[in-house]
Order: sequence, then C-alpha cells, then structure tokens
Amino acid sequence: MSDLTSYTGAFRADPGEPAWLVERRQSALARFGELGLPTRRQENWRFTNLRALETTDYPPASGVATVAEAALAPYLLTGASHRIVLVNGRFSPTLSAIGPLPAGTYLAPLSTVLRERADLAAALFDGSDAVANQPFAALNAAFAGDGFVLALEDGVALGTPIEIVHLASAAAPHAAHTRNAILAGKHSRARIVESHAGSGRYWRNLVTRVALGEGAMLRHVTLQDDGDEAINTGISRVVLATGARYDAFTLTVGALLSRADMIVAITGERVHCGVSGAYLLRGRQEATIATLIDHAAPGSETREVFKGVVEDRAHGVFQGKIQVRREAQQTNAHQLNKNLLLSPRAAIDSKPELEIFADDVKCSHGATIGDLDETAMFYLRARGIPESEARLMLIEAFAAEAIELVEDAAAQTYLRRHLDTWLANPKG
Amino acid sequence: MMLEINNLHARLADGREILKGIDLTVKEGEVHAIMGPNGSGKSTLAGVLAGRPGYEITEGSVLYHGKDLLALSADERARAGIFLAFQYPVEIPGVNNMYFLRAALNAVHRSRGEPELDAGQFLKAVRAKLKLLDIGEDLLQRAVNVGFSGGEKKRNEIFQMAMLEPDLAILDETDSGLDIDALRVVANGVNRLRAPNRAAIMITHYQRLLDYVVPDVVHVLSHGRIVRSGDKSLATELECRGYAFLDDAAA
Repeated sequence: MSDLTSYTGAFRADPGEPAWLVERRQSALARFGELGLPTRRQENWRFTNLRALETTDYPPASGVATVAEAALAPYLLTGASHRIVLVNGRFSPTLSAIGPLPAGTYLAPLSTVLRERADLAAALFDGSDAVANQPFAALNAAFAGDGFVLALEDGVALGTPIEIVHLASAAAPHAAHTRNAILAGKHSRARIVESHAGSGRYWRNLVTRVALGEGAMLRHVTLQDDGDEAINTGISRVVLATGARYDAFTLTVGALLSRADMIVAITGERVHCGVSGAYLLRGRQEATIATLIDHAAPGSETREVFKGVVEDRAHGVFQGKIQVRREAQQTNAHQLNKNLLLSPRAAIDSKPELEIFADDVKCSHGATIGDLDETAMFYLRARGIPESEARLMLIEAFAAEAIELVEDAAAQTYLRRHLDTWLANPKG
Repeated sequence: MMLEINNLHARLADGREILKGIDLTVKEGEVHAIMGPNGSGKSTLAGVLAGRPGYEITEGSVLYHGKDLLALSADERARAGIFLAFQYPVEIPGVNNMYFLRAALNAVHRSRGEPELDAGQFLKAVRAKLKLLDIGEDLLQRAVNVGFSGGEKKRNEIFQMAMLEPDLAILDETDSGLDIDALRVVANGVNRLRAPNRAAIMITHYQRLLDYVVPDVVHVLSHGRIVRSGDKSLATELECRGYAFLDDAAA
C-alpha cells in the first residue's frame, strides 16, 4: 500500500451524527492524510516496524460481530464487576453486564455517549489536545464509533471494579478504532481491569483519555493478549491534578505488533504517578512501550518500572521519558527498565530518558539487559530441577516481581493467571 | 562403590589448572573430610562433582555407582542422589522457598518413578524435618535465601539436604562462619543422614566440625592434589601444626 486512500477513502459521514462531530472527524481525517503513517525516520518511531500496516489494508470493522462466550471466559474477573464488552470495537449488549451503578457514576459505551451525552462527547473528541496530532489518534478520531466511558462525580468511591474486555474475531482484516475515557471527579476512586484479546488479522487502534481531578484515585490494569496475527496500537492521554493518585500497569503478552504510548501530564502538586508493566514476547512478536511523563508542577512523584522477557526472534522496545520542567521543583521520579534476553536472535531496544530543568529534584533511571542468572540456574539444577523447568521458574519470578507492584489483589490474581497461561503455553 | 575419582584434572575457562590429578574413593556408609588451605582446589572439586558450569575436565574420570558421573548434567546428578551444600547459597528473588523445594522434591520423585507429593503430604514431610533439625518455619515463606543471614542460609542448605535424602552429600565449607548453634544444626543434619547405603564428603577449613561429625577418613588437599590421607587424628594434627608442614613434606 503506497498511499493512504484505503484508510481515508473508507470514510463516510454518518448523517445521524451532529454537525460538529462530522466536521471534527473530517478534519482529523485530513490531518491523518497530511501526517501519513509514522516512519522509522522519526525518532520516536525508529525502533518500531510498521510494515504490517503498510502491506495490508485494514478497513474499519463494519456491522455487529459476535463471539462465543467461551472466548470471553478467560478474560473475566472472578468477583463482581461492572462489565463492558466490545467485539470488533463495537459494544456487545449481550456479553456486557454493567449492572446497577452507584449514584454519581456514569459508565456507558461511547456509542451511547454520542447519543446521550453531548457534553462528554465534545471532550472526547477534543482536537486541540497535543495528542490529536499523532497519526493513529487522528485516524481514530475519524472512525471511532465506540469504546467505553467512565465518568465519576466528585467524591464517588466505586467499590466494585470496572471490567472492560475488547474482543476481536476477524474473518478478513479489519480495524477497530476504539475511543475510551475515564473522567474522575475530585476525590473519586475507581479500579479498572481492561483486557484485549481476539483471533485473526485485525488492527486494534485505541485512544484513551484519562483525567483525574484533585485527590482522585485510579488503578488501571491492562492485559494485552491480542491474537498472534493482530496489531495493537494504543495511545493513552493522562492528565493528573493536585493530589491525584494514578497507578497503571500493563501486561503485554499478545499481538504480533503492538505499541502502547502513554503520555502523562502532571499538572498539580502531591501527585503520585505509577506507570509500570511487563512484556513477554516470543516467536516474531514486536512490542513497543513508549511513555512520556511530564512533571509540570512541583512536589509530585513518578514510579515507572517495566520488565521485559524476550525470546525466539521477538523484539521488545522501551522508550521512556520523564520530563521535569523548571517549575517542577522537588520532583521525585524513578524509572527502571529491566530485560531478560533469552535467545541470540531476540532483540531489545531500551531508551530510558530523563530531561530535567529543575535543580532541586530526586530522579533516577536505569536499564538492564541480561540473560537468566547463571548461578541461580545452577542452584536450581543442583537440586534436581530440570533445565527447562528452572528457566521457567526464573522467568516467572522475574515477571511476577513486576506484577507484585499491582496493589489491587483481584487484579494481581488476574494478571498472575495470565502469566501462568503464558508460561504454560510456549507458542514458539 | 559410591564414588571413584581417578586422576582428575580440571581447569577454569581462563586455562588455570586447579585440580591436578585427584584420586579418591568413597564407599557406602563412609564420611570423608577434605581439608586444605585456601586455593588448594577444595571448592573446585565440589563444583566439578556437582556439575557446576565453568570448569573443563582435561583428564581422568569420576564413577558414581559405577557410572560415568561427568556425562550427566547438574540436574541429572542431583536426581541420581548427589547433593551439594553450597558454600555461598544463591539468593533467588521471587522464587518462594517452599515452592522451590517442592519442585525439587517432585523432580527427584518423578525420576525415581515415585508419585509426586501433594501439597498436604509435602507440608507434613517439611514439618517433620524441620522439627528433627530444630529449624524454624519462618524460612519457608520467604524467597529462596533472600535476606537470610549467613547462618539461615546454611540451615536452609541442610534442610534441603534432609528433604532430598541424597546418597552422596557434598558439603562445601558449610561450617564456615557459623556460631555453635548453627554448627550443631549442620552436624545433626549430616549425622541423621548417615546410613550404610549413604556417604558424605565434608569440605572444611576447620577441625571444629569434625568434633561433631566424626569422619572415617580425612584427606588433605594441596595444590590440586590429595597429599595426605588418614583418620581423624590427621585433622587434629593439622589444627596444631597448620598447613605449612605440607610444603615441607612435599619438598
């Protein structure tokens, strides 16, 4: 595919949508046409190979798709939840179970928001945000018809977790452009467990906006377990106000090609920003984690830990930047990327970065790439544990150490379950 | 015969020859002590027997129950009944001590064609051994050796040995740096394992351990060779005279 017409040409204005949205979609589409697909000549994309997007057409998914309930089962939490399930990027009323919500809590698919909540819809398609100029975000703005939206009024503490499952079933290649938002009012609290899974050749392209008001708290755990022919690109735009507490964790085990961009703005004091995760890649998988955390206000902290396990011919990329502006004195920011490189043909690119303009800060960053600890391997084997089992024990321990950063017990159990599945099923 | 080492030569990856012709025979039911100054090759000998990577065998042979030991991988040796108590037990963050031990025990059981222990049976066996050895249960719930004191690490080695019930236990300076209580735990562990069908090789710097575990044979290793063998009195002699006389004798 040498031009973008297969993407731009698929656009049809929806007569049911308000004029402002149609206009916004058209301008986003024009923006995508100008920007084109990112290329490796761009610094921020130089480790990410997008050939799969260039050689195959991914027209927007059309119609309502269904999947068997068995496909959903592995992605369900064991306890109670408010659940939204999307199939091929569209809300599935049959698989979802939102249930009764406490007062001050709004949870709905984007398709409903576009009909019912013009106020929220406008914020979701804000074209003035810096992220709107990212090519995939622009394409998403043109096509996204569904997603999930959680809005909490001030002071609402949601006890039951929100469960979001994005499923896909692709008979022919398609793209699911999904737009999500989490808008948490002052001193509100919520937990979200989000999963991505599916089978066949599809491109999942997500944009998620997160805005935490003063003193709000969000724990957002994501499992990316998309199918082994899938492409997953996602961009999360996070804005944190004074005293907000944000903990995001992403376990990446799926998709042939994936890229998760997280762009976090810390706009107030005493913010806690935790952005962590683990990626376990094998076969010919390629995954990029790209984070930009912008300390624009004093006295806040960031904890960022990503751990990678890369086998076979897989390729893992970590590009993490923490920016501390001149006015962001007394920032406390630590970033760490640790990798296990388990095969001579596997590859890791790690680019940790601190950019500090303030002079009174505590910041650190580091990256390691290594093999399994040989002395630990010998110790396990000297007790009779076969080599293959010893390897798995050490890989599990390495990844589990990251998962232990997740403070929510139910989410931690959920991630451990999927880590165990990964360990038990070498796709090779 | 439990173990027959013939003219064993081994060197490090950098080419330095450490073992220069070891001859040693250990029969079932025997406890051998190997003493010698730093750098004499004691730990290398233990490592070579257990299959530690990083050594090259250039000459000689090792037969274990009549079979070529050196052809086996480290885990095969362990499953065949060889146990190395490490001089420096390895810390393994993220791997729970109980989980580790159960994996080890079940690997040994599988290779013997015995059924694996379920969680209940395993716990029962663990409690019995802990009591026998007078070791606290608190070690079990922690990651393998992580944050253990020196004494705790050595107790953990002995506990693992007691659980795995090896045919041939090799203790690499398990006694060094221990207070008298920990030393008693170590000695008790070895003594409880003594049986007509088992054997042990204790590598030690000091005669102290030999007050608690009386060896059948004491060997002195120097510059990669066994230069003297004798009964327990040899250890006492070394304690009085030091290793200096070895060089005199060799010269």
